[in-house]
Amino acid sequence: MVSPAPTTANGHPPASKPLLEIRGLKMHFPVKGGVLMRAQKQCKAVDGVDLHVNEGETLGLVGESGCGKSTLGKCVVRLNKITGGQVTFDGTDITQLGRSALKPYRKDIQMIFQDPAESLNPRHTIGNLLAEPFIIHGLLSAKERDIKVAELLEKVGLQASAADRFPFEFSGGQRQRIGIARAIALNPRLIVCDEPVSALDVSVQSQILNLLVDLQREMRLSYIFIAHNLAVVKHISDRIAVMYLGKIVELAPADELFANPLHAYTKALISAIPEPVPGGGRAQRILLQGDVPSPIDPPEGCAFAYRSWLPTSDDQKRQPGTFREVTPGHWVELHPGTVEDYEKYL
Amino acid sequence: MRLNPLTVKKIQRFRSIKRGYYSLLLVIGLLVFAAIAELFINNRALIVSYEGSWRFPTYGAMIPGTEFGLDYSHETNYRELREIFREEGAGNWVIMPIVPWSPVENAFRGESMIPRPPDFARRHFLGTDRENRDILSRLVYGFRNAMIFAFGFMFFVYLIGTTLGCLMGYFGGTFDLIVQRFIEIWSNVPFLYVVIIVASVVTPTLGILLAITVLFAWTGMTYYMRTNTLKEKARDYTAAAQVLGASTPRIIFLHILPNTIATLVTFMPFTMASAITAITALDFLGFGLPRPTPSWGEMLQQGTQTMVIAPWIVTSAFSAIVIVLILITFVGEAVREAFDPKKFTVYE
Repeated sequence: MVSPAPTTANGHPPASKPLLEIRGLKMHFPVKGGVLMRAQKQCKAVDGVDLHVNEGETLGLVGESGCGKSTLGKCVVRLNKITGGQVTFDGTDITQLGRSALKPYRKDIQMIFQDPAESLNPRHTIGNLLAEPFIIHGLLSAKERDIKVAELLEKVGLQASAADRFPFEFSGGQRQRIGIARAIALNPRLIVCDEPVSALDVSVQSQILNLLVDLQREMRLSYIFIAHNLAVVKHISDRIAVMYLGKIVELAPADELFANPLHAYTKALISAIPEPVPGGGRAQRILLQGDVPSPIDPPEGCAFAYRSWLPTSDDQKRQPGTFREVTPGHWVELHPGTVEDYEKYL
Repeated sequence: MRLNPLTVKKIQRFRSIKRGYYSLLLVIGLLVFAAIAELFINNRALIVSYEGSWRFPTYGAMIPGTEFGLDYSHETNYRELREIFREEGAGNWVIMPIVPWSPVENAFRGESMIPRPPDFARRHFLGTDRENRDILSRLVYGFRNAMIFAFGFMFFVYLIGTTLGCLMGYFGGTFDLIVQRFIEIWSNVPFLYVVIIVASVVTPTLGILLAITVLFAWTGMTYYMRTNTLKEKARDYTAAAQVLGASTPRIIFLHILPNTIATLVTFMPFTMASAITAITALDFLGFGLPRPTPSWGEMLQQGTQTMVIAPWIVTSAFSAIVIVLILITFVGEAVREAFDPKKFTVYE
């Protein structure tokens, strides 16, 4: 597989070198069983992913539940010990680093979690939670930390007095703001946002998204923005990667992806976005047959071809597709079962 | 540092459960009383006024009889001293505690060894046992020993059980597997045989008994802590701490342990009750603390043997055990109720 070349989108200046580069990333979880709890099978949650994120860029990552997008995010922040491949951050492969060698990179790569009720320890005050990053990395004195905590809270639109309160005393949106404050505390360069708004009310979602955009501009952050909702990703991303069963099936600048989706799965996802106007000229909704196959026993060849409405022979299904750049910056998995008239792109 | 409002709510809830709350106050009262029991139940005088100077023999080294002009150099018998002073009428006086008997001393020296019924004139409020020792005194000091044992038991069971349970839950994998199998084997070792064997080789002291009982009791705590840790570890705040670069001890002690506090606190009273039962049972069987250490089990054993001729022994011991265990169980019930996660949950 060829790694996608760095491209620019949405007017960002081209970066000489991507901030984060993922090459052939594999995350296989052993499925244990038997008396001795030996690994019986492998659950291939992420199975060979190549991606990169440029400085100051937002990479959207979409796919349905269980496609491995959250696992991919966790691999980037080293919550998972990966099975194979490389994650290069700023020129260093961080997948093999030990605890102490990794620590400086912990400052640079942070994560925002899906459910802020879960990601904020209910036993600690907000002040404690926000001071923790500095304590862990041995930065600032106790007094400076208090000032910094107040600054962080104001930066995410909360009052400094929130520091004395506990997480459950806040609403979902406020809690997510606290989660964001914690993530930006150490001035990171990359933040993995793991469905940061999907647990929130629709009315609050846009506020949080705007906050993320503002912070990105202000702090020159890069985001990997994971979501199952294309509409959310469209709003915030420069480029979007569509994931299906542990693999990237389409990668394109956000506008291009919505204007000209090539992969059948992407088309199905886009057609599933709810229309704000009832009955207003929406395209035919595409309903996919069946469920996502299990990553424990993925089908041979092109996994999506088995669910696609595009006609393929059994022989063709068993052939894997090829991931190619069809137009500049637009990558797609080419296979008779995934892309209409795929021959013309070959 | 502000107390977590959820904790405040739990404490308020506990206080609103009157039965448990007053039981706790009573237990604390009993503990305080047992801790300063020497001031109330003791064969040493509280104050001795001898030739103008005051002595306080309750705490500190023993004072030989010669100090008070008596003709022996072993410890002063203050009850006799009091009578002597009174007869002399020379302005010397002795104030004795309410119950002037120590738990290990034989009253009625020189007379036949039979249990005596309660005798208010001689200040044997609950009578004496077969060896003419004051029962009230033995009850109170027996309670003190049982509570020292219970607190020691709880401390070590919690220390070992919590540590291992947390580590099993946190690290999982092979370590978890091996320790789990070990616990399964270990908990099948017959506890009583080990105690009998040890007791036949050495005279068991409080420390040895504590060590043996803890050795076989810590396993119970690991189950709860293991599952608790597994549950808490899977929550995102642990991941968030990891992403920040927090060390494993930091995650376990600052993030996971505080979230298991409900389990720890809820089990405390029940652990204490089981410790008291255990030491009483061992004493009853004769494998417990060496004689003449005051203990409830030993009193119970004596009481059952002399039930017909001296029913006051068994009644006293039995009532004391039942009352204390009921009080502690009431506290435990109230704590469990107050810490019920269904009432004050942090999940939404």
